[in-house]
Amino acid sequence: MMRGIHQNFDQQQAPAFFARGPSPLARLTFFTAMSLALMATDSRLQYLADVRENLMSLLHPLQVIANAPSELYQNTNEYFSTHHYLLAENARLKQQALTQDIALQRLNILTLENTNLRDLLDAKQSLAETSILAEIIHVGRDSFTKKIIVNRGKNHHVITGAAAVDAKGVIGQVTRTYPSSSEITLITDKSLAIPVQIERNGLRAIAFGHGRDNTLDLPYLPANVDIKRGDKLVTSGIDGVYPAGLAVATVVEMKTTQDSPFAHIVCLPTGGIENDRQLLLVSIPEIKQETVTERPTSALPTSQKSKRSAAAPAAVTAPPASGAQAARNAQPAVAANPASTPAPPPSANAGSRPHAQQ
Amino acid sequence: MRNNNFWSIYLSLFAAFICILFPWSGIALALRPDFMLLVILFWLLRAPNQCSVGTAWFMGLWVDLATGGIFGQYALAYTITTFFAVIYQRRLVLFSSTQQLVYVFSLLSLSQLILLILKAFAGHEFLGWTYFLPSVTGVLLWQIAVSFGLNTGRHSHGS
Repeated sequence: MMRGIHQNFDQQQAPAFFARGPSPLARLTFFTAMSLALMATDSRLQYLADVRENLMSLLHPLQVIANAPSELYQNTNEYFSTHHYLLAENARLKQQALTQDIALQRLNILTLENTNLRDLLDAKQSLAETSILAEIIHVGRDSFTKKIIVNRGKNHHVITGAAAVDAKGVIGQVTRTYPSSSEITLITDKSLAIPVQIERNGLRAIAFGHGRDNTLDLPYLPANVDIKRGDKLVTSGIDGVYPAGLAVATVVEMKTTQDSPFAHIVCLPTGGIENDRQLLLVSIPEIKQETVTERPTSALPTSQKSKRSAAAPAAVTAPPASGAQAARNAQPAVAANPASTPAPPPSANAGSRPHAQQ
Repeated sequence: MRNNNFWSIYLSLFAAFICILFPWSGIALALRPDFMLLVILFWLLRAPNQCSVGTAWFMGLWVDLATGGIFGQYALAYTITTFFAVIYQRRLVLFSSTQQLVYVFSLLSLSQLILLILKAFAGHEFLGWTYFLPSVTGVLLWQIAVSFGLNTGRHSHGS
């Protein structure tokens, strides 16, 4: 608006070639100051969260439009996929459904058994998760931060802090929710930490995103820690954010050096961080956590149980271990493994407490 | 004439923004040129009294929004870059096409460098020299556009 007025003014005053309005230096100073002020406000104060939310809902139709060509391409590809391919895929899916059905039946029994065991131990109930299927619509332009935008938001009851998983493992966590989309920070992002457990020996640790190369680090573990190449990391569930027993990463490198008391451990994410379109947003409702603490004994309501089995595909990847781990989580922290480092809860999951103490 | 230019400026900026919103991934993501800055620079050289530092700042805010980063990062990078573009805009008439390419490349790299410094303050690491690949692809895109007959203001003294 201001600029337009200046232009009109200038065009009357001077020939177009010389017409520039305020000097470039003045503009530079003004807009640099504005940018710096915005950056300070956005990073230190929370005032801009609402503004961002409103602007994002304006942006959403544009994202849908930008996404349309690739979606159209995929759809036509699917339409023209051959009969043979479809038959093969159908057979494979049937096979997969069969094995998963069996695993699901076992899961029901294990859930029941777990409930009974928890009752015996007088431990708190593990929480029932709700899950929402979402599709990636936008990958961040920024190569420094690993963030993606998915097509489910507040209108679909996505909450900030929900875990994002695919069929193979954890991908990330919902960090911002907008009306009809939400932003997921991938576990490879530098600012995201995720509490994990080594599947082999139950050792607890916290995995941090490396920020580049799509890898995770396990920092602050002593040089003599019992971790080997090929060890699988699963979520420990003690943060109350991620359900326990989801695959996170595999250790690909374990190095100790003379000059550092800590081991240098690099892990590769199990989930398809870069190549999946669909993912599942799994959340553990905060309110339920409160109510569970109120009543000492309770069985899972049937409705929750059915939701739990709906969220199962991701959990099925580690079927035999999950029951044992859940039981292990119920143990006091020290008894589980004396060698483990009691690392502080990560800032990304601030506010959540271990729900399985006692 | 002004109205005509006005619409083409904002339509092209809008198109650049849609390009940024495309679901890029993998190598394409690493090579993706900064469409927005390219379009801004083009209009800055072509119609400096209609597209200026303020336009760049405003479009930078939208790019910030699309990337989900802190507000003002792209805005600041675009502001400083366009300032240098505006300063040398009149001299550009005398530039040869190679000189112009070098000039555009240094502007694109400058904007990436500013973003890199801002990210370094936020605790991110340098991603290696491949980080500057978008500047290279950006210049290539510029050259392709010029060879397809896009007038980038260089010959404006002749016409």
